[in-house]
Amino acid sequence: MKKFSALLISAIALMICLIPLLAACNGQTSSTGARGADTLVIYNWEDYIDIGDNESGRNNICDDFCAYYKSVTGRNLNITYTTFDTNETMLTKVLKHDANVDLICPSEYAIEKLLTAGLLEDQAAMYAELKPQLDSLGVTLDGMSSIGAGDGNIEPDVMSVIKSQFGAVKSGDATLDMTRYMVPYMWGTLGILYNKKIISEEELEKYGWGVLWNIEGNEQLENKILMKDSVRDTYAAALFYMNEYDLLPEGYDDIASAQDLINITDDAMLKAAEAILTEQREHISGYEVDFGKDDMLNEIVYADFAWSGDALWAIEESYQEDSDYDDGCFLGYYCPTGTNPETGKGRFSNIWYDGWVIPTTVRNKLAAMMFIDYMCRPENAIRNSIEIGYTCAVAKDALASNDDVLAYIEDQEYDIDEYFDDIGRYPTINSSLGVMRDFGARNDALVNMWQRAKSGSGVDTSLFIILAVIIGAIALAIALYFAIQALRLRPRKIG
Amino acid sequence: MKKIALKKFRLTKKVFSFPYILFLLLFVIVPLVLILINAFLDGDNHLTFANFKTFFSSPASTIVLGNSLLVGVITTLICLIIGYPVAYILSKMSSGRLIVLLYVLPMFINFLIRTLATKAIFIAMNVELGMGTVLFGMVYNYLPFMIMPLHTTISGIDKSYYEAAQDLGADKATVFLKTTLPLSVSGIISGITMVFIPTISSFAISQLLSNGKVFLFGDSIQLSFEQNLYGVGSIMSLVMLAFVLISNLIMNKFNANSDNVRRSLW
Repeated sequence: MKKFSALLISAIALMICLIPLLAACNGQTSSTGARGADTLVIYNWEDYIDIGDNESGRNNICDDFCAYYKSVTGRNLNITYTTFDTNETMLTKVLKHDANVDLICPSEYAIEKLLTAGLLEDQAAMYAELKPQLDSLGVTLDGMSSIGAGDGNIEPDVMSVIKSQFGAVKSGDATLDMTRYMVPYMWGTLGILYNKKIISEEELEKYGWGVLWNIEGNEQLENKILMKDSVRDTYAAALFYMNEYDLLPEGYDDIASAQDLINITDDAMLKAAEAILTEQREHISGYEVDFGKDDMLNEIVYADFAWSGDALWAIEESYQEDSDYDDGCFLGYYCPTGTNPETGKGRFSNIWYDGWVIPTTVRNKLAAMMFIDYMCRPENAIRNSIEIGYTCAVAKDALASNDDVLAYIEDQEYDIDEYFDDIGRYPTINSSLGVMRDFGARNDALVNMWQRAKSGSGVDTSLFIILAVIIGAIALAIALYFAIQALRLRPRKIG
Repeated sequence: MKKIALKKFRLTKKVFSFPYILFLLLFVIVPLVLILINAFLDGDNHLTFANFKTFFSSPASTIVLGNSLLVGVITTLICLIIGYPVAYILSKMSSGRLIVLLYVLPMFINFLIRTLATKAIFIAMNVELGMGTVLFGMVYNYLPFMIMPLHTTISGIDKSYYEAAQDLGADKATVFLKTTLPLSVSGIISGITMVFIPTISSFAISQLLSNGKVFLFGDSIQLSFEQNLYGVGSIMSLVMLAFVLISNLIMNKFNANSDNVRRSLW
């Protein structure tokens, strides 16, 4: 016992010594890089920037920025580029003050959460602070939307949605305007990536979100649907489906816009969503966050609940020379909007934004601001957008009127008109699309609902059957042995 | 001062255990204490018992736990039914040791890669992913853990036992039932432990081989930590630990009862 308590005490002592050490390991960077060069630490999504292309000799866009930074300031810049795979991973790190970074690019609700926690820098104030330095360098930063000088290069529609939803975010006693804290980078919708051979456009128009529940009872589609293994997105899908098919709990009969629907997280709604998602398990192949695109391309599944950018990327990959389809691609993307012809209820979807924010841990303010501005330039935005498949937040007009952009689009073998008219890439922003806010304290209830929905409605009965069969087989074998034994030893008549 | 300390230091057997004790402290005791602390904290680091309520009042926890235990029992039974005859036959063969190596060979490849390959095979064969494929994956992954200790135990049994039994007139089945089986109990026990305990806590196999549709206790723990529910996740880990300890205790009890020399690879 003495030994054990000694062990425990030394363990606790060790822990106390180690925690700062571990935190230090996480710091990753020092303020000055090699040979006195400036550093910039970027924390972004995986696969979310143009990393260049060796074949065509295109640089990583970060290297291009370093060159630009040197040409303006005369100083070298080292970029440390780190990535996260979900907003939650990023949030856990940043909220626990474990990330010493200069720039982060999370989704809108995560930005709201960071803003509420008081972890973001006011970019407009920072601009005012840096103004003399910027003037002396001859840099304007007029592509940014956050510096209090209009929308910059950013799409006005995108800005107005963000302004209307996040214009007044509460942080302690203060009410903050999120547009001063973020610059939109990419945006998109949630929808259905489908295989044209199995699902026709008429079916999509007829069944809308019901496709993901195989409401039609299409035998080929049964168990060939993938959902997102991400609670917020799947919950949104459940809400959209319930609204379209009039399955919402009582008291929610006439919801007029997606915005009114998408942020409801009370107990009645969670319960209804749980039932809907549990029911869906019978019809789907499973949940994914990363292999959905590949499974769609390999035709292992025929419908995938997808983000628009992933879907556009997959559609391009599905191009075949000798295809029966107009665009040569056997995959399509459908973002359900309008009304369901049978129930007459509205079809809604989600619109989301990812944006650049500067956390309070920033060390190199100038480089951080210049980097955001650099990303907002049409010629750079289009590079990122084409590389990763998502729609950049830079205004369509600004892109379409820039000759460099047009040349680049053609150089990448796109038709310019087709590129800008693609409804999947540039959907109409209206009341059918809603922005998902941070669920705050309700998030835990949502995760618990998701745990329940994923566990199913009861212990898998097939397991009992298998167990019974195995035990039965063993019992049979033993009985057989004794029977044979008894037969062998039975008294025999002689003669 | 330093000299005295150096003089006192003697290279004894004890010294060689220090690296292991340090490792134990760092990677076993410290995480355990952290889990224990986290179980009583809510999101804002206040002391609370709400996590226990969330976990124990939810029917989903029982369902997931029940599924995991059933999968564990079934996997262990199938491994035993397949593994015992294999180990028995191999121990009678002169080239047995070499063939056992063949069974262990796949273990040299990382289990994630193996599982992904299994998934690709199932998809190519048009087998629907679900509970069946998960069970297959589990058995495939843990079968060597059953065969190895069984083979070592059975091949270690003194041949004179069989000969004595045969001399006394026992037929082949009786020889097996009265000598081999009782003498290999320790192998069976360590085989069961080696299979059952990892299966109830595994999560990657079920996730990969069912596209996340089969949701086991390990998956549940992973989801909790991923979604920042450290409290509930910690309690689940503790429950898991309790099950591991309980099954270990039961196994040890069995093992102590059998008067066999404990002989196993591990």
